[in-house]
Amino acid sequence: MVRYQQGDFAAATVLISHISPHLHRFFLAKSMSRTDADDLLQETWLQIHKVRHTYRHGEPALPWFYAIARHIRVDHYRKSIRAAAGERELGEMSKGAFSAPHQADELEALLAPLSESQREVLALLKVEGMSLEEVARATSSSVGSVKQKVHRAYKKLRETLGVKPPRKLRSGELA
Amino acid sequence: MKDEEIDNLLKKAAQAPRDLDPLVLQRIGDSIKSSLHPVRALTPVWLMAVGLVLVCVAVSLAGAARAGFFGIAKMNMPERLVIFPALGLLACSVAVGFVHQMVPASRVRVSPGALLALSSVALLAVFALLFSDYHTDHFFSVGITCLFTGLLHAVPAGLLGWLMLRRGYAVNPGAAGLVAGTLSGLAGVGLLELHCPNFQVAHILVWHTAVVPVSAALGALLSWTFARRPRP
Repeated sequence: MVRYQQGDFAAATVLISHISPHLHRFFLAKSMSRTDADDLLQETWLQIHKVRHTYRHGEPALPWFYAIARHIRVDHYRKSIRAAAGERELGEMSKGAFSAPHQADELEALLAPLSESQREVLALLKVEGMSLEEVARATSSSVGSVKQKVHRAYKKLRETLGVKPPRKLRSGELA
Repeated sequence: MKDEEIDNLLKKAAQAPRDLDPLVLQRIGDSIKSSLHPVRALTPVWLMAVGLVLVCVAVSLAGAARAGFFGIAKMNMPERLVIFPALGLLACSVAVGFVHQMVPASRVRVSPGALLALSSVALLAVFALLFSDYHTDHFFSVGITCLFTGLLHAVPAGLLGWLMLRRGYAVNPGAAGLVAGTLSGLAGVGLLELHCPNFQVAHILVWHTAVVPVSAALGALLSWTFARRPRP
C-alpha cells in the first residue's frame, strides 16, 4: 500500500489483483448482479486511487478498502432508488428493470433472512475472515455494535435454520 | 444447531467459486496508470485535531474582540476556570472525532451522536452548576439574538474546519457533518461565553447550549444534502 502511495505501478497491480476478488465478493453478497458488481468494483478502485493518500501507514489496509467500497455501494443504492423513483414518475417502470438477475448462490440464500447490516457484518467477519476490530473500522462503528449485530444475526439464523441453541451464545465466542 | 455448524455453512457457501473477469482487472489497472504519481500522506490525527481546536479558539476570540469581552469580564474566577477548560476539553474530543470521520476505517470510540449528546449534556451540567440567577427577562428576544450570534460564528468555524480537512474523505458524510457542526457549535458557545453578560440560568441553559445541537443538525443536513447531489 505504501509503495502504491509512492506511485509504484507494480505494487498497484499486485494490490488490484489481491483485493479485487474480496471487494467483488462483497458486492455480490449484497444481492447484486455480476455486471453491477463489476461496475462498482471499477468505481471503487477509481475512488481508492483518488483518496489513496488517506491510508495511514501501520493501520490495517483491508478495512480501509472495505470502508470505501461500502460508501460506493451505499451511493449506488441511493442512485438506483432515485432512478427507480424517476422511472415510476414517468410510468415507464417495467417489472424488474432495476434488479438485474441475482447471483442466487448458497451464501446469498443463507444470509437472506438477515437485515442488511447483519448480513454485511457477518459476511465481513465469517466470509472475509476479518477480526471484530477490522469489521468495526470498515463499517465505521464500534466493536460493541459489531458484536451485537453478529449476536442477533446468529440468533436469527438459528431460528431460521429451525433448531434451538444448545446453550446461550456469548459474544466473545463469535470471533 | 450449534454456532460452529453455522460457521461451517457460511464458510462452505463462501467457498463457491466466483471468478473475476481478468479483463475487469486489466481495465482497472489501465484506468489508474495514467494518474499514478506519489502522494503525500495525511497529516497525523493529533495535529489535525489541534489545528481544528485552534480554529475554534481563533473564531471565538475574533468574534468576541469585535463584539466585546463583556461575558468573561463579568465572570468570577471559578466560573472562568470551569467553563473555558470544559469547552476546551469538549472541543478536543469532538475535534478528534471529526478527524476520524474524515479518515476511512478509523477506529470509532464514540459515535457522532454520542459526541453531540455528551457535549450538550456537559454544557448543561456546567451551566446549571455555576449560575444561580433564576430571573427571566426578555427570554425570547434576547435568547434568539444569542442563538443567532452563536450560529453566525459557528459558520466560519465550520467552513475553516472543512477547509483544513479537505484532503480527508468522509465515508459517512452525514455523520461527518454532524461532528463538524458540533465542533463549530462549540466555537459559537465559546464566543457567547466570552461576550454575553446575561447570566440568567434559563437564558444560558436554553439559548447558549442550543447553539451546539442546532449547529450539529445544520452540519449534518448540509453534508447529507451535498453528498446526495447527483454527480456526473
